[in-house]
Amino acid sequence: MQLSDRVTGLLVVGLGAAAAYAGSKLPPVPGQQVGPNVFPMVVGIGMVLCGALIALGVGRHFEEEAQADLAAHSDEEAPPPVPWWIAGARLLVPPGLLVFYAVASDFLGFLITAAIMVAVAARALGASWLITVGMAVAAPIFVSLAFGKLLRVPLPPGLLPTPW
Amino acid sequence: MNVYVEAFALVMQKDVLLAILLSAIYGLVVGSLPGLSATMATALLVPVTFYLSPIAAVATIITASAMAIFSGDIPGALLRIPGTPASAAYTDEAYAMTRKGQPELALGIGLWFSALGGIAGTLSLMLLAPPLAEIALSFSTYEYFWLAFLGLMCATLVARSSPVKAIVSMLLGLLVACVGIENPAGTPRFTFGSTDLLGGIEPIPALVGVFAVSEVMRAMMTAEPPKLPHRRFGSILRGQLELTKKYVAPQVRGNIVGIIIGVLPGAGADMAAWVSYSMSKRFSKTPEKFGTGHPEGLIEAGASNNASLASGWVPSLLFGIPGDTITAIAIGVLYMKGLNPGPTLFTERASSMYALYIIFILANIIMIPLGIIMIRIASKVLRAPRSAIMPVIVLLCAVGSFAIGNNLFAVLTVAAFGVFGFVMERNGYPVAAMVLGIVMGTMVEQSFVTSLIKSDGSIWPFFSRPIASILAAMTIAALLWPVFASLLGWWRRSQAQASG
Repeated sequence: MQLSDRVTGLLVVGLGAAAAYAGSKLPPVPGQQVGPNVFPMVVGIGMVLCGALIALGVGRHFEEEAQADLAAHSDEEAPPPVPWWIAGARLLVPPGLLVFYAVASDFLGFLITAAIMVAVAARALGASWLITVGMAVAAPIFVSLAFGKLLRVPLPPGLLPTPW
Repeated sequence: MNVYVEAFALVMQKDVLLAILLSAIYGLVVGSLPGLSATMATALLVPVTFYLSPIAAVATIITASAMAIFSGDIPGALLRIPGTPASAAYTDEAYAMTRKGQPELALGIGLWFSALGGIAGTLSLMLLAPPLAEIALSFSTYEYFWLAFLGLMCATLVARSSPVKAIVSMLLGLLVACVGIENPAGTPRFTFGSTDLLGGIEPIPALVGVFAVSEVMRAMMTAEPPKLPHRRFGSILRGQLELTKKYVAPQVRGNIVGIIIGVLPGAGADMAAWVSYSMSKRFSKTPEKFGTGHPEGLIEAGASNNASLASGWVPSLLFGIPGDTITAIAIGVLYMKGLNPGPTLFTERASSMYALYIIFILANIIMIPLGIIMIRIASKVLRAPRSAIMPVIVLLCAVGSFAIGNNLFAVLTVAAFGVFGFVMERNGYPVAAMVLGIVMGTMVEQSFVTSLIKSDGSIWPFFSRPIASILAAMTIAALLWPVFASLLGWWRRSQAQASG
């Protein structure tokens, strides 16, 4: 998701304008000049200004210096070439799994949800099947013992309640 | 003296000592694994701290972060892959030493000078905090506003990125803090009719998302780091005393720079290491040796990054303004534990503060034996495949954020901020500035609006009170500095073009 400065700058301008506009619509406190509307407006206007500067490329050379510095100190290996859609799908695995947890854990229960999460993430990172299965069994049990039993977090039992 | 005895008694509890030991091991392991940073280690600890006593909770954060910053040096020296960003500045130097056949020396420097640096940072915390608390007692909302604003500006100045983008990141954070009904009039703001958003966006799930989930996303994009070959080490600490005597100046300079950078809001250990390493090179009598496995830069930067950790607690404890991303998380824990940051913390809860100092010193002392053990077993720990560790991190993000408020909305917040942090980082928007904005948003707004209400809409009192005017001048200078710097750079370039 590397976008040009023009795109991100304009996005910031849009977001800032929306925030300032929405802020200005908030009801004021009767009898007072300043209320909940002031701060979003100040922030929004600031974002519009800075976003415009970014779109125009101001401050770009600071970044180039930092990047050159970093590049001199580390040689990040290029990932193995894969089609962009596989790379994109893989990238969305971690947040996707969290959404899956939020949606499914009440019904499936902690152990099953967690096992699925660990297995999918491990495969996406290229783990062997042995590691995948081992982790998918061990990690949910360990986490449920640590958080559910020791720290008393109410983890959902769902379809497969924990015996402890 | 009585307070010291009391503080000592607070630390010498069984649960506190156990918390220190376990979090030390945790910090050492997490810090040594490439891709898992000290901030992430702290963020994942938060749900655990909920179930501990206040002192034990703070102890886990202090210990785990100090250990993680040191053990980030281990894969840096052995594999040329920094374990945490704070070690990135001198990874090449340490690895060059390993190639020369002196891995013990490189790791020993990391360990020894980290521990000394941590103790120096603690001393600065002990010396700086009480007099500052004295001054801070006379602060009103005007001063707090400028202080918070200055803190936000510092975070944008020190970001290793375009200052404009850093300011945008910070404003984004402030905007996130606007969400909810926690505002001067209690009006639902930017909640889009959602009841989950009424309470606002909690800083800790946001931080977990930005620092942990986006890191796992990054791991999805990069190849697995190479395995560490097994090797036997000689004595780790041999020669460190001679080095301490030989390089007094770099060490002290590293400590001081680290302390200053730690105190500055938003700038933490990684910044301290970068600045100290380049400073060491500039002041060295033998700059040509840098990069070939020369101890001088390692000493200065290692002394610096650990010193910054403790001094980062100075603004956090006094004003609730985080000195770095680790204390940004710690502030949340402090509030949760009834240790609300503020100058009165030093008068009303003095024994807790002294307990904190003792924990810092204790953590830096046990760092030496535990660090030696960690170095010796590093080849085994680093053998753990990334594809087995990262899935557990994802799971811990989900469970941990759920545990904070027992609601699933926090899990969604983590996911959203993970994506957000990843996209921002890819496009050069520093996430640390956003984190600072989120953590400080409520405070900035409250002091700003309260001040305006007090002054009946006039901005004159923002400048007329003596301390406020000094803080205002500093803030405006910080705001104008990037403009000045770019004009200067532009002028230099055009001069160079004219002459060349």
